[in-house]
Amino acid sequence: MKSLTLHILAGVSLIAGLISCKKDTSNNTIPAVTKTDSIQVAFDPAAPNTFFSFKNDAVVANSDSATTNWDFGLRNVNFIINSHISGPGNAGVITQTGIYDSYTQAAQSGYAYDTTSTQLAIDAGFTTGWYIYNSTTHAFSPKAGQFFVIRTADNHYVKMEILSVNYVPFAGQVPVTLIYKFHFAYQADGSTTF
Amino acid sequence: MLQKISYSIIFFNLFSFASAQKSSSDTSGKVLDEVVITGTRTENTISNLPLPIQVITSKTISLSGSEKLIDILQMQSSLVIANNPLGTALQGYPNPFGNGIQMQGLDPAYTLILIDGEPLTGRNAGIINLGRIALGNIKQIEILKGPATSLYGSDALAGVINIISKEPKKNSLDFQTHYASNNTLGLTGASSIKYNNTSFQLFANRYSGNGYDLDKNIYGKTVDPFIDYSFSAKMLYDINAKNKLMVSARYFSEKQINNYLIYPLSDPEVVKGNTIETDKSAYARLQHTVNNKLNYSTSVYATSYSNNAAVYLQKNDSLYETIMLTQFLFRPEIQVNAGKNPAALFVTGLGYNFETVNSSRYSSLKELNSWYAFVQKQIQWKEKINILAGARFDKNSLYAAQLSPKIAVGYKVSPNFIIKGSVGAGFKAPDFRQQFLNFSNTLIGYTLLGARELGDGLGKLKRNGEIDDAIDISPYANGVELSPEKSIGINVGFDYTLHNNSVLKINFFRNDISNLIETYNLPFKKINNQAIYSYENLNKVFTEGAEVNISHNISRNISVYGSYQYLLAKDKDVLHKIKNGEIYKRDPITNITSPVTKKEYKGLYNRSRNTANIRLQYDNVFYKATAFVTAKYRGRYGFDGLNNFEDGSGILDDDREFVKGFLLVNTTFSKRLGTSWEIQSGVENILNYTNRLQMPNIFGRTYFINVNFKLDNKDK
Repeated sequence: MKSLTLHILAGVSLIAGLISCKKDTSNNTIPAVTKTDSIQVAFDPAAPNTFFSFKNDAVVANSDSATTNWDFGLRNVNFIINSHISGPGNAGVITQTGIYDSYTQAAQSGYAYDTTSTQLAIDAGFTTGWYIYNSTTHAFSPKAGQFFVIRTADNHYVKMEILSVNYVPFAGQVPVTLIYKFHFAYQADGSTTF
Repeated sequence: MLQKISYSIIFFNLFSFASAQKSSSDTSGKVLDEVVITGTRTENTISNLPLPIQVITSKTISLSGSEKLIDILQMQSSLVIANNPLGTALQGYPNPFGNGIQMQGLDPAYTLILIDGEPLTGRNAGIINLGRIALGNIKQIEILKGPATSLYGSDALAGVINIISKEPKKNSLDFQTHYASNNTLGLTGASSIKYNNTSFQLFANRYSGNGYDLDKNIYGKTVDPFIDYSFSAKMLYDINAKNKLMVSARYFSEKQINNYLIYPLSDPEVVKGNTIETDKSAYARLQHTVNNKLNYSTSVYATSYSNNAAVYLQKNDSLYETIMLTQFLFRPEIQVNAGKNPAALFVTGLGYNFETVNSSRYSSLKELNSWYAFVQKQIQWKEKINILAGARFDKNSLYAAQLSPKIAVGYKVSPNFIIKGSVGAGFKAPDFRQQFLNFSNTLIGYTLLGARELGDGLGKLKRNGEIDDAIDISPYANGVELSPEKSIGINVGFDYTLHNNSVLKINFFRNDISNLIETYNLPFKKINNQAIYSYENLNKVFTEGAEVNISHNISRNISVYGSYQYLLAKDKDVLHKIKNGEIYKRDPITNITSPVTKKEYKGLYNRSRNTANIRLQYDNVFYKATAFVTAKYRGRYGFDGLNNFEDGSGILDDDREFVKGFLLVNTTFSKRLGTSWEIQSGVENILNYTNRLQMPNIFGRTYFINVNFKLDNKDK
């Protein structure tokens, strides 16, 4: 009985050792926080932006629009990024093609920002933008194999993929609200590894 | 209902009318080698033409009891009704474009529709509304597949549908009363008069219906009530042995009621009004025969089309929207035929198109002028080999000159086995909409500009402060020149005749199309954050497949016709991107993204890989009755966004995007009474197939009854 316990202990420590070894071979970073979240956004080009913070995984109050508390804002299908003309932060974005899961290292440079209110870092054009618009069903479907690598307002790195955009069921004839579902990986220690 | 029928019969006894009913003596067991004109612009039998041509005879048309061209064409295996997804009557919106025909997998915009060799105009979003053509006055419908640009110019990429109207041959009087479900009433009259060297053909048709509603939960009908009138007149005058004059005119007008909901950002509103579509044409041709080896004809054709819609808000009767489109074409042409037909015929011609178009969505009246010349040589060698070679040159004021050659070769292995092959180039000129559209949506605020309109349109938006001052619009100052869409089409096949009463025809086809014009959004937006769209040459696609036709006359009184088409249609740019691993899909349940494989890509939306039709005809001479059955199967086809399925790939790559195939079965019974009268009754869509979203043009089971009267004076 005693020897069995010993064996198990040995086994456990061996496995633990293997795991820690494996970790050592990558980077000395803590793992990125991965989350899946949904936010509601007004389906109205004139509505105020819905602001989002990756650090807190939460929607930020509109009164904080002049702070670095938010990373991106969303209205209709248009994203703004917290830097330059859109906010006081240092946010930037790369629209990346490929498979989200296999993207593990954020780029050091190449991050775009909003230059004017009609030329935004994230292209939301009907044919060139981040979604596919179906003129029959009026559905917005995020282009598969495309996601965003984002430097947050306070210089942390995030990869974010929009999974779906749906209309909130509406009573009238015109939809009022969109639900964006997305997942992201946030690197809390400021490194570029996910 | 019966009361209405008898009423109309009485009414129409006073008038005159048409049906193409022939006497039963026409039905021999032999499969006919039809004479067609579409393949060479001169009369030729199909066996002499190395081209895939199909003929729908007046007999088939009259046996079907159908009233409109679309009803006949949609029962052909190789032709599919193509609903523009934007043109479907979704959510009670009217279908503004009508229904078009997809041929060899190409959209309706790529098939040229001719009446007696002259083009119909008035395409809305590329579609000519085939509801415009009444069937009562048609001698035959010739369907030529493969590019025919070498003879007919722009738009004939997939092929040509040439509707040949009846010639006045003898004194006759016809009428038909048609009554069908949905209170559909058709009244047709035709008369032919021959007097000395002059003959006349007159035709009139009135057609109306209450429409129908496939979805009671949505405000408005799927098809709203309509009424239309068609008139045509033709005169042939044999001036002398060498000169013949032909003059004809055509008029069509349809009033379609509009009654639907609009969705402004507040509450929905009911709008009511109507759309009036008119189509007029006049044609004159003088034919001069120099000798038995040389003749020429000069002709002028003028046609005008208009589509005017006006809808009013129901709540206060105020005008909500008007839409107007007018189009005019004037075409003088000369054609010279030299040499022996068909052994060594040389055909050449020269013509000029003067075209104008105006629309409430254009900034002003637009003009388009072009001239063209064509040549074609036919060679027959030892009655074994048939060669047809030709080319056409089109010079247009708006885009580069186009040269479209074509060559076709037929080889008679034996008198009953002919191998045929042809290669041709086709083009489709950028249409007026793609060049000149200048439209801003008032509700949402986006702007659509034709390629040529970009300079003026953007300039105006900027002056009005609708575009940010910082944006440089100078690259668009002179507009953008669009190139014609181009195609190369190959058709190879054979005709095999067995015992004179069976024919097997097989044709393999491939069309490669490049420079397809698509919409795109400009890289900047308006101040209101809405996009500006324009048109550019983008895609390359191909369609390929095979068509098999079998006609078999089992006896003098029983005949069967069957056909099948296999079709593949794919976007070459998509294939290229798949090869490079650039297209992904996202599983809507697991959210896992993976590259789309070549095998998963099923091709273009709205194409059925399999279509088939069968036609059965049984004549009972003793009872003077005929039974006629047609069935059309359309296999499954992709529909973008079906059941809200989205995988983010933007292409057809999942079984969940397929609409189930369907079968339409129509039957007609005809019974002749005496020498002049005939009663027809039938059921269309016996299986009661409906699909309110993808096939709003198909009503469920429909019953109809026709009363036909025909009086001939065969002595003349």
